[in-house]
Amino acid sequence: MSMSQEEIEALMNGADSEPEEVAEVSDDTPEESESSSDDSEETNIDDILAGIDGITDDGSSEDNFDDILAGIDGMTDDGSTEDSEDNFDDILAGIEGISEDENSEPEKESVTQTSDEEKYPLPVEKEHKVVNQLNEVAEDSEEKASQIFDVLSFILDENAEIDNYNKQMNSFIEKQIELLESLTTKFPNVEVFKENFELADSLLTVSKNLSEKVNGENNKVFEAMELMQYHDINRQKIERVMAVIRKLSSYLNGIFEDDSGKPEVQIAKHIPGDGTDTVGEDDLEALISEFSDN
Amino acid sequence: MQLIFNIKGIIMRILIVDDSTTMRRIIGNVVQQLGVAKEDFDEAEDGVVAWKLFQEKGNYDVVLTDWNMPNMNGLELVKTIRAKDKKIPIVMITTEGGKGEVITALKAGVNNYIVKPFSADVLKEKLDGLVKG
Repeated sequence: MSMSQEEIEALMNGADSEPEEVAEVSDDTPEESESSSDDSEETNIDDILAGIDGITDDGSSEDNFDDILAGIDGMTDDGSTEDSEDNFDDILAGIEGISEDENSEPEKESVTQTSDEEKYPLPVEKEHKVVNQLNEVAEDSEEKASQIFDVLSFILDENAEIDNYNKQMNSFIEKQIELLESLTTKFPNVEVFKENFELADSLLTVSKNLSEKVNGENNKVFEAMELMQYHDINRQKIERVMAVIRKLSSYLNGIFEDDSGKPEVQIAKHIPGDGTDTVGEDDLEALISEFSDN
Repeated sequence: MQLIFNIKGIIMRILIVDDSTTMRRIIGNVVQQLGVAKEDFDEAEDGVVAWKLFQEKGNYDVVLTDWNMPNMNGLELVKTIRAKDKKIPIVMITTEGGKGEVITALKAGVNNYIVKPFSADVLKEKLDGLVKG
């Protein structure tokens, strides 16, 4: 029985909420619950492990791990983690193109930020228009889906050919079985007839199995073809988004449209209160007197 | 799923109308599984092309049409066909799954309605029902 998307999502939500509930309980008595839950968990795991054949705990599991690791070729533990860090540095130094630069990360960040600032807002050109881009995605997806369908159709055609060959083979084997059966009956002492009869009989089973496999494969291809309907459904979802954008664009154009008929006036560049670029009373007087002297 | 049902001889010619090439191929594949030969069905990418084919050939036994298509949508196509032919079975195969849409389509003259995604079995059952009438 297949499950609907809602059922799957409900299940997933249920799975997500379970750990939260556990966390809430443990929040009430953090230390106590932590230690007790740890103990009980450990006990439970021990119980489970004890119940499984072949698993024993002699209390020296750590030693055992060391023994096991020691037994693996190439495994050494000299207890010097610092040395290993040095080794990594040596290895990295040996690789061309890798250099350690403490300032590299922030620089990269600033470069990205600058390029983004330069990039956005994108110029209003055909290739940057969102609806055009979505349309391109939908068309590209349609083309690729068609190509996938070609591949699936090819597999079906090939399987049909395999099935035809198999039928020819099957008919030949059946005739051979008939022949060999009569020969075996007539000449029961000739061992080779009997052997070949048995072989032909087993080949008939192989042929039947092959036919079943091909049918099974065909059914999977049909399933895949059915699933490709989701491509059309998703394309229509994209088209719905495109329609919303078109309507929004038309609405915004309409609401910001100037139908007053008044000519566009030149706008003021610096109005007092804008910021530090505007001149104060003293600066203004100084500038006037400076130019008056000239 | 092995389809052994064969409608060939009962439904001779099918007109498949969908703006998606993939969907037309999927439907075409399903009707082929049902025993209809490749040369026994035509495809149209919108209502305009479908109506043209319908007028030119006029020998279709069933029309399988999508709803949302450019130029002339499926509903307009159904109404146009029904104005000329009251009997030809029409099945709407669409993503429109709302009750209101189904009623609208049925009122326009659709004989049966399939919501995408559908399985080959569903289409088989609907076609079978149309054939048995």
